[in-house]
Amino acid sequence: MSTVEQDPYATAAGLVARSAAAYAASVPDDPADEGFFGPGSVAWRVSTDLSSPVAGLRALLLQALHPLAMAGVDQHSDWRQDPVGRLAATSAYLATINFAERAVAERAAARVRRIHERVTGVDSVTGRPYAAGDPALLLWVHSTLVESGIVVAALFGTPLSAPDRDRYVAEMVVAAELVGVPRGQVPASLAGLGAYLGSVRPELRCTPAAQESMAYLLDPPGLDEDIAEIWLDIRNAAIAALPSWAREMYGYPEPLPLTDSRRAELRQALGVLDTVFLGEPGVLEARQRIELRVRAARRP
Amino acid sequence: MKRLLTTLTIGGLIAALVLLGRRLWRPGSAGTTRLRVARGTAAIQLAVRGGMRYASSAPRLFAAAGEHRQRLRTDLALQTAEDVATTLGAMKGVLMKIGQMASYVDDGLSPAVRRTLSRLQDSVPPMSGELAAQVVTEELGQPPELLFDRWDPEPIAAASIGQVHRAITRDGRAVAVKVQYPGIAEMIAADLQNVALLRRMLRITAPSQDVDALIAELRERVLEELDYRREASNQRLLAAHYAGHPTIHIPGIVSELSTRRVVTSELADGARFAELAGWSQAERDLAAETIYRFTFRSLYDAHAFNGDPHPGNYLFHGDGKVTFLDFGLVKHFSPAELQPLIDMVRYLCVDEDPAGFRAAMVRAGFLIPDAPVSTDTVVEHMAVFYDTVRRPGPRQITGDYASAVVRRFFDVRSPLAQYVSVPRSYVILQRINLGLFAVLGELTATADWRAIAEEIWPFVQGPPSTPMGAAEAAWRARRGGPDRLPA
Repeated sequence: MSTVEQDPYATAAGLVARSAAAYAASVPDDPADEGFFGPGSVAWRVSTDLSSPVAGLRALLLQALHPLAMAGVDQHSDWRQDPVGRLAATSAYLATINFAERAVAERAAARVRRIHERVTGVDSVTGRPYAAGDPALLLWVHSTLVESGIVVAALFGTPLSAPDRDRYVAEMVVAAELVGVPRGQVPASLAGLGAYLGSVRPELRCTPAAQESMAYLLDPPGLDEDIAEIWLDIRNAAIAALPSWAREMYGYPEPLPLTDSRRAELRQALGVLDTVFLGEPGVLEARQRIELRVRAARRP
Repeated sequence: MKRLLTTLTIGGLIAALVLLGRRLWRPGSAGTTRLRVARGTAAIQLAVRGGMRYASSAPRLFAAAGEHRQRLRTDLALQTAEDVATTLGAMKGVLMKIGQMASYVDDGLSPAVRRTLSRLQDSVPPMSGELAAQVVTEELGQPPELLFDRWDPEPIAAASIGQVHRAITRDGRAVAVKVQYPGIAEMIAADLQNVALLRRMLRITAPSQDVDALIAELRERVLEELDYRREASNQRLLAAHYAGHPTIHIPGIVSELSTRRVVTSELADGARFAELAGWSQAERDLAAETIYRFTFRSLYDAHAFNGDPHPGNYLFHGDGKVTFLDFGLVKHFSPAELQPLIDMVRYLCVDEDPAGFRAAMVRAGFLIPDAPVSTDTVVEHMAVFYDTVRRPGPRQITGDYASAVVRRFFDVRSPLAQYVSVPRSYVILQRINLGLFAVLGELTATADWRAIAEEIWPFVQGPPSTPMGAAEAAWRARRGGPDRLPA
């Protein structure tokens, strides 16, 4: 796959196509059960929201600020050699956890846990040992994703009501459990989530690995100029959705104020990106499978 | 390669919309001009066997429309205005409209663009019967079940921003009722108002000085199309203009049942474009002759041009009789706008005066004054567009010819490329080249196009050259009166 050892990162060619293929293949045709969330869940609404690519990117930006989480990715995964494959695998995993039947989701989670077992080492920046299976790191990754879904839907998607925010946090507890976080450690309410995220902040810093990998993600080489144009909007939306302390850690400039027209423009970019995504084979059918399940569940 | 495909998808969509995406033009292999027939909004507009003259009884038409019902994903039907917003908001409605406008040039688009456009159309399910009824009620003041003698709550066809229902009016006419998605016009208008993104995307495919003009043109056209009253008025005028024509039929509008978001017209039924593949070449030639006459009679006599020469917008009845559908994209020309076009064809094809032709091109704004290219080069570049009418005699229009015309239009390597442009008011006319010839090429139609053109050219007004021409001349003599439609 990768022959470019001298070049630290492979290009981002095929980002949309491979993510789309991974997504389409992970949405089942005729599942034995409705999985861990089900058609009536807030989780399904959040993950099918137009804004979800921005939520994913914002979550990655936050996750990378944990030096130990970042070190695990940087030193072990094939992230540098095949970043697109890594992102596609992540989107496949999320789609599986969301939409696949329980047995399939459990098998996917078991696979991830097995891979995590081998990921251990010492972070060169802090000198601290890490293990990818450490519930503390897994919880950080989990919580940033959940919080990003809520924040980004409010800014660029269909905002969740206050009760639905709590419900979403509670629903997502099982996702953390699946990768190995004991249930008791996982925040189950919005307030609990906020308190947890605040408690981790003293540990966060922008290591060179974080700076470098996020720079790659924000401006992926090899994306053609046309899609790069849209990607600029997606990433600017993600940066705008970050807490200001996170932007400061990275040293990103203050984003343009999110006026109504700026927000509309970013939503348009999301719509165009989604249109491209929809043009990839299998994506429309996958969405229709989800929608039909939602409708079937709604029927009395 | 994958990367390239993705690129072409976005850039292509945008370029297609303005028909200026030279960068994206990838000539198909020779002879592969195939028009998309089954899908596409216009394609979808219901076909109507029409009018009084080809009349069958209303119940029979109603039944025939049901038999031709397009298969739609009613299991995914949009049930609320919010569903519509989710499906068509955030530029998707705009992109779909653009896709519709560009769909008949899809031979000029890359497979990736074509795929994206058709996927986008596929991604929009019909409205539920309840939602459609709600729009009808809002627009016409009564629920359709009360308004009509018979109303089929299930649509018979989709349209990009609406769908078509069959009905029978209280006075017994079988009609096609096109109902617009609720809120779609407002969403598209808002997206075309906030143009920062569109402007940035267009800069990639078009010179920057053109971008604002293109957006303005796009906005005007799309907003026009969103107001069904305009379509109704165009169709009403053209139906009146062609009333009694021997082969051209335009279904009448039922004015009292037509509003901004609902347009009701006579139901018609006939053979679809795809079915012509099984017809004799003689029949296909006659159908092509009617389409050709309709296009240029409308332009020269009525100063109106239907910018949607999509194969789905025709119904065929044999003997050259054609029903024309969908008048959402009609451009009216002022005499001042038309004159340079007339001069161009006259100088090139009749007077054989290259310098006069070039001067007319400059007057029209197609060519910048004093471009450092020889007049021979100008003529050589442009001649392909006039190829069918420069010389007399029978001539077959092939898919190859249609492709060549499109290729030339998008040819960036031409020595002329940097000096030519298409002024805003003529953008729509390029659809003759991009759409009409594609349709005629698909029919592999043969005729003496020059002789037919001479009948129609106002500066020649030649004698009838075919039996259809003779019948048309008799019709014109009968109808008398001013030819020109009020704009």
